[in-house]
Amino acid sequence: METRDKIIQVTDLEKHYNFGAIKALDGVTAEIDKGDVVVVIGPSGSGKSTFLRSLNLLEEPTGGAIIFDGVDITKKKYKDENGKWVKVNMDLHRQKMGMVFQHFNLFPHKTIMENMILAPVKVKKVPEEEAKKKALELLKRVGLEDRADAYPIQLSGGQKQRIAIVRALMMEPEVMLFDEPTSALDPEMVGEVLDVMKQLADEGMTMVVVTHEMGFAREVGNRVLFMADGKLLEQGTPEDIFEKPQHPRLQEFLSKVL
Amino acid sequence: MNNFVQIENFGRIAPYAELFVQGIIVTVMLSVCTVAIGFVLAIILSAMRMSNFCPFAFLGLDKEGHQRERGLGVAIGKFNPLAFLATAYVEILRSTPVIVQVAIIYYGVFGALFELPSFTFFGFIKFDRFFPGVVALGMNSGAYLCEIMRSGIQSIDGGQTEAARSLGMSWFQNMKYIIMPQAIKNILPAIANEFVVIIKESAITYTIGVQDIMSAVNAVRGATFIIIEPLLVATAIYFCLCFPTSKLIAHFERRMSRGDKR
Repeated sequence: METRDKIIQVTDLEKHYNFGAIKALDGVTAEIDKGDVVVVIGPSGSGKSTFLRSLNLLEEPTGGAIIFDGVDITKKKYKDENGKWVKVNMDLHRQKMGMVFQHFNLFPHKTIMENMILAPVKVKKVPEEEAKKKALELLKRVGLEDRADAYPIQLSGGQKQRIAIVRALMMEPEVMLFDEPTSALDPEMVGEVLDVMKQLADEGMTMVVVTHEMGFAREVGNRVLFMADGKLLEQGTPEDIFEKPQHPRLQEFLSKVL
Repeated sequence: MNNFVQIENFGRIAPYAELFVQGIIVTVMLSVCTVAIGFVLAIILSAMRMSNFCPFAFLGLDKEGHQRERGLGVAIGKFNPLAFLATAYVEILRSTPVIVQVAIIYYGVFGALFELPSFTFFGFIKFDRFFPGVVALGMNSGAYLCEIMRSGIQSIDGGQTEAARSLGMSWFQNMKYIIMPQAIKNILPAIANEFVVIIKESAITYTIGVQDIMSAVNAVRGATFIIIEPLLVATAIYFCLCFPTSKLIAHFERRMSRGDKR
């Protein structure tokens, strides 16, 4: 058996609204290893986005645990080995998790270059020159080095999403979270974004992707999670999920989307 | 039957023109000072309202440090005294008449609690009247400006905050680099409009003897028993102050939205 290097371990994660009347997440347990490309699929309202957003606490779970780098980040504070209370610094953990959103969320008042270097310079205190150099390299990789001084409004959706991806990469994250990165794009632009993501996966980046792109899930993902009604109903390799679906909900879902 | 307006009456009030000129200066100074005080106050108030200062947050945690879901501790833990104070202030000031507030500040606070030095500046502005007027109006407009700022900040798409926080920025960094630069664009025209509102509202301070345009009207009436014509003069003056100002604001508002990069 190959060695597994766990990055994120999610145990019994719950997100309840109105004291349990609505269960967006109802006990999800999953592990994400280094180098994994985990694709989360499921019908809308199944809690896949909530699950992803919980991973960096954009949604605060109401129960369960998320162990990231050995720390349960769902706790506000914890006791260290000396028995002292330590506050969990969420900003520090978020720096290690890049996130890409459905609606890009580029900063409209800043140029592409400013968008990319803002967090490294202000948060990680990287010298501006160094950050700019790195930004140009990343821009070159996604073929947008000539748009460094453009504003987000001047870019197409696909270009914006590619920028959003490299903006997150500027922080050198350990994990990249993608929240339906192609859902707001024109069909012709989906490919260019998926290509960048594929490239990232090939380089060994750990990724968690919520998507409706079944082709991507099958081709790039090495693990697929199927969620419905806030529960993780089935997980396995893409072959297992797409060729031999076990759970009736999954079979029904696949018959609709494939 | 008298006419509504008698032209010769304008001639009879002409000797009092200087009162109106002084009134204009007082009104404009009053408005500028008021908006300045209101602006500073509003920044403090809206910072208090949006702060996440919860001194009792630990009551909402369980033994392991998890946020609990319900219970008295959670409710108390979510209590933010700064936000509570600021909200109470804004709601009280917005729900009571300005004329009452001005009277309370003048007769109550500065009449009974603090002694103000009585001197005049510019030769005709009485400090012990002017200052309470400015304080009262400033406190009032601070409450309104606070609401303007809050709505301006809340109008920024929540995705901006999510993006900033997911990049590891703190609450404060998000405010400073992402939210405020975008919100200011929405807020500035509204603040300028508040200035126009204050020019008109400052007329209320004649009730505590601030010698603004409105008090010039009363002085003239007292001296000549002419009432309609001085009022018309005051109306014209207020219009000439407010109308160009709001047109100017509208002009800059258009220019700013033209440069909007969204």
